[in-house]
Amino acid sequence: MKKIKIPIGPQHPALKEPISLRITVEGEVIKDADVRLGYNHRGIEKLAESRTYVQNIYLMERICGICSHSHTTCFVQGVESLCGLEVPKRGLFIRMLVCELERIHSHYLWLGVAAHEAGFDSLFMYTWRDREVVMDLLEIISGNRVHYAINTIGGVRRDLSEVQKEKILEGIQFLKKRMEYYTNLGTTEPSFVARVSGVGILPKEKAMSLCAVGPTLRASGIASDIRKDDPYAAYDEIPFSVCTATSCDVLGRVVVRIKETMESIKIVEYLVKNLPSGEIKVRAPRKVKEGEAVSRYEAPRGENIHYIKSNGTDKPERVKVRAPTLANYPATIEMLKSGFIADIPLIFAAIDPCICCAERFVEVIDTKNENTQVLTMAEIKKRYSKSQGLKKGSSVWPL
Amino acid sequence: MNQAEIFEKIRTNLSAQITDISMPSPRRIFVSVAPEKLIETLKILKDDFGFYHLSTISGLDKITGFEVLYHLANSFVSLTVRVQIDRAKPEIISICEVIPGAILYEREIQDMFGIKVINIPDSRPLVLPDDWPEGEYPLRKDWNYQPPAETIPGEEQ
Amino acid sequence: MAIMKALVYLFVYPGLLFLFVYSTFCEWFDRKLYARLQNRVGPAYTGRAGILQPIADFLKLLFKEDIIPENADRIIFSILPVIGVATVATAGLYLPLWNYDVSRTTFNSFQGDIIVVLYLLCLSTVILFLSGWHSTNFFSTIGGVRVLTMLFGYEVPLFLSVLSPAIVADSWRLAEVANFYQDFPFLLFFQIIGLFVALISLQAKLERTPFDIPHAETEIVGGTFTEFSGKKLAFFRLMTDIEMVVGSGLIATVFMAGFAGGLMGSLARFVLKTLIVIAILSIIRATFSRIRVDQMVVFSWKYLTPLAILQLLVSIIIKGVIK
Repeated sequence: MKKIKIPIGPQHPALKEPISLRITVEGEVIKDADVRLGYNHRGIEKLAESRTYVQNIYLMERICGICSHSHTTCFVQGVESLCGLEVPKRGLFIRMLVCELERIHSHYLWLGVAAHEAGFDSLFMYTWRDREVVMDLLEIISGNRVHYAINTIGGVRRDLSEVQKEKILEGIQFLKKRMEYYTNLGTTEPSFVARVSGVGILPKEKAMSLCAVGPTLRASGIASDIRKDDPYAAYDEIPFSVCTATSCDVLGRVVVRIKETMESIKIVEYLVKNLPSGEIKVRAPRKVKEGEAVSRYEAPRGENIHYIKSNGTDKPERVKVRAPTLANYPATIEMLKSGFIADIPLIFAAIDPCICCAERFVEVIDTKNENTQVLTMAEIKKRYSKSQGLKKGSSVWPL
Repeated sequence: MNQAEIFEKIRTNLSAQITDISMPSPRRIFVSVAPEKLIETLKILKDDFGFYHLSTISGLDKITGFEVLYHLANSFVSLTVRVQIDRAKPEIISICEVIPGAILYEREIQDMFGIKVINIPDSRPLVLPDDWPEGEYPLRKDWNYQPPAETIPGEEQ
Repeated sequence: MAIMKALVYLFVYPGLLFLFVYSTFCEWFDRKLYARLQNRVGPAYTGRAGILQPIADFLKLLFKEDIIPENADRIIFSILPVIGVATVATAGLYLPLWNYDVSRTTFNSFQGDIIVVLYLLCLSTVILFLSGWHSTNFFSTIGGVRVLTMLFGYEVPLFLSVLSPAIVADSWRLAEVANFYQDFPFLLFFQIIGLFVALISLQAKLERTPFDIPHAETEIVGGTFTEFSGKKLAFFRLMTDIEMVVGSGLIATVFMAGFAGGLMGSLARFVLKTLIVIAILSIIRATFSRIRVDQMVVFSWKYLTPLAILQLLVSIIIKGVIK
């Protein structure tokens, strides 16, 4: 049979964000896969170098829509360790509370997306309806549904009242009940299980050597969780277990995420019930003394790492962000090989790809020309012809 | 095995390879390695200490030269291996033979800093467009971006 | 008079006009039920409870830009949707609704019309394959190949299961089969397995979840329909809707004793029985996830076909007992 190359992306119904997968298929079987990034660059790393630390918190928040809290927490932790700040317990607990609610939110969302990719639209509609509950809880705590903006250097910005605590416990009970139902549905519904089990195999050794992270790694039987391995915030005093699966396939990743949601619900209950009293933040200096810090964080999708280098001013020298999705791409290519075309969306969705997270480097804004101008069409044409004259009709970036 | 033991063990076992070791905050170890001893060091770290996971590779423009930082991790500590590179000859050896998962990070470094990675299995640009002009490396400190004139197809004069 | 009647039959009831109106109503019913099962509202604004939404969609598509791919064969690409609608609408004419006489052969009711209906329904699937193949797009081609692969899976159980009631009734004519079961309704209980197999095969024929493999949007974009737009897409959607009505009408005829009563009585029975079938199809659609094409073929040859053969054996035994 003839081999053909099919393009999945940059625009494709299975992808919510632009990325290009070039898949070589023979009939229905995938022979080779290649990934091409770069459709979603915003130049955040470069931009961060020209902003102050406080401004950068809000910039980091905008790396991703779903795990926005992950990036800010990771960033402020790094800055706090550079400044040597001791964040008050209550602040840490509220920070962790938002972390875990965000994880619940992300996993609910993921379950819906995975169901949709498998053509199971009923489950998709159900999970996304229930996801509203956790988004409302986050709104109660932070005032926002997506970009929570609760972190600041040295603590959090909003306190938690007794009424809010009650509301959270109430909402959590509902989410727990629903997730129990989905546990049953996602692991026993025959047509769904037939689609996900044995698909996208990633053996343990491959997962290790390709540096996979998060639920993808844990579904291959490796109990690696930054919350346990490298306890940030106050995770070392919270009882929870690391969820793993040994099946190494998409079903394993479904199971891991469902189990993790249940664990997160338990953590949220514990946090709300044992919330210590006291301050929620400490004052942070505007300038950060010279040094470098590596901050790691277990985002819903896996390990998130920020490397921050300060130079003694109020702006960082360098901020390096590595979002979990980027780390999972080599493993995804491995998983795609020898699958079926029908498995592509599922395998790709199983790493919970967040393309805007993974891409953030290139600056495409003209920094020199700071004042924005409103140009008429005629002016644009004039400029265009002028530049055209200089270039003698040759395009610099041929389309 | 705890962090202090790992720190001590690295200092004694790898004294031939590393030039500098520090632990500025809990569970964070920074070591410096000469470029030619990088592969050897990573192999020892992977086999003897279980640093099989590469979190990422960061590049750093220090004006006088470049620094490439390999953020490794095992289940106890996060270890950063620092390599200094000459600015006049920005080259580094690929570590893909030790850690295959490093490929994307190496391609990123190549795109962003113009540090040539020798023996890289796949040297196409990763995040920059295929037709990105030569010699433009966005994350270098001296990079000054000039957007090329936009050409609209079909409107040539 | 006979010609007038025939013309009314062809174009008004149960011909093109009725099929068009009723199929859009069925689409609305299916969409609304599917939406309610998923805790959504479904169509809500056009007409009362969104009942006119499918017609609005159809009209909107008629006014949209119509694009033909450069490499596609223009003529075949353009006429396939029309032929598709024509085949399924023709199949609809053979349902014993009105203007037939059991005692004599007419143009719309004769020995062997059950085979003709099945054949015409099969033809519409082949048209889907051709449309995918002639689009010269990767996704369409893969969709077309999947259509054919599936055809080999579900067509055999569908034929076997639909023919087994006819074997008991000792006739290849839909009107006679329906009449037979109106006289002996208890015999229908022995056709339960066949009804089950026929419903699932029909679901596969209509390419609905869990068998919406040829146009699985998350895998191959629009599948066979990827390159179709405007009028052509509108006609394909109409074809699918009419196919749903005709398919459920066929099942209602052979498994639910047809549509007795005069003009109004038969219409009421037709609507009721087809809606029951469509409701079952909608529930199946809402409760499963899409399966892979290889799984579908394995499923139909491992489970559906043996069940259909079992039904055939049961039918033959019953026939022997009756004799």
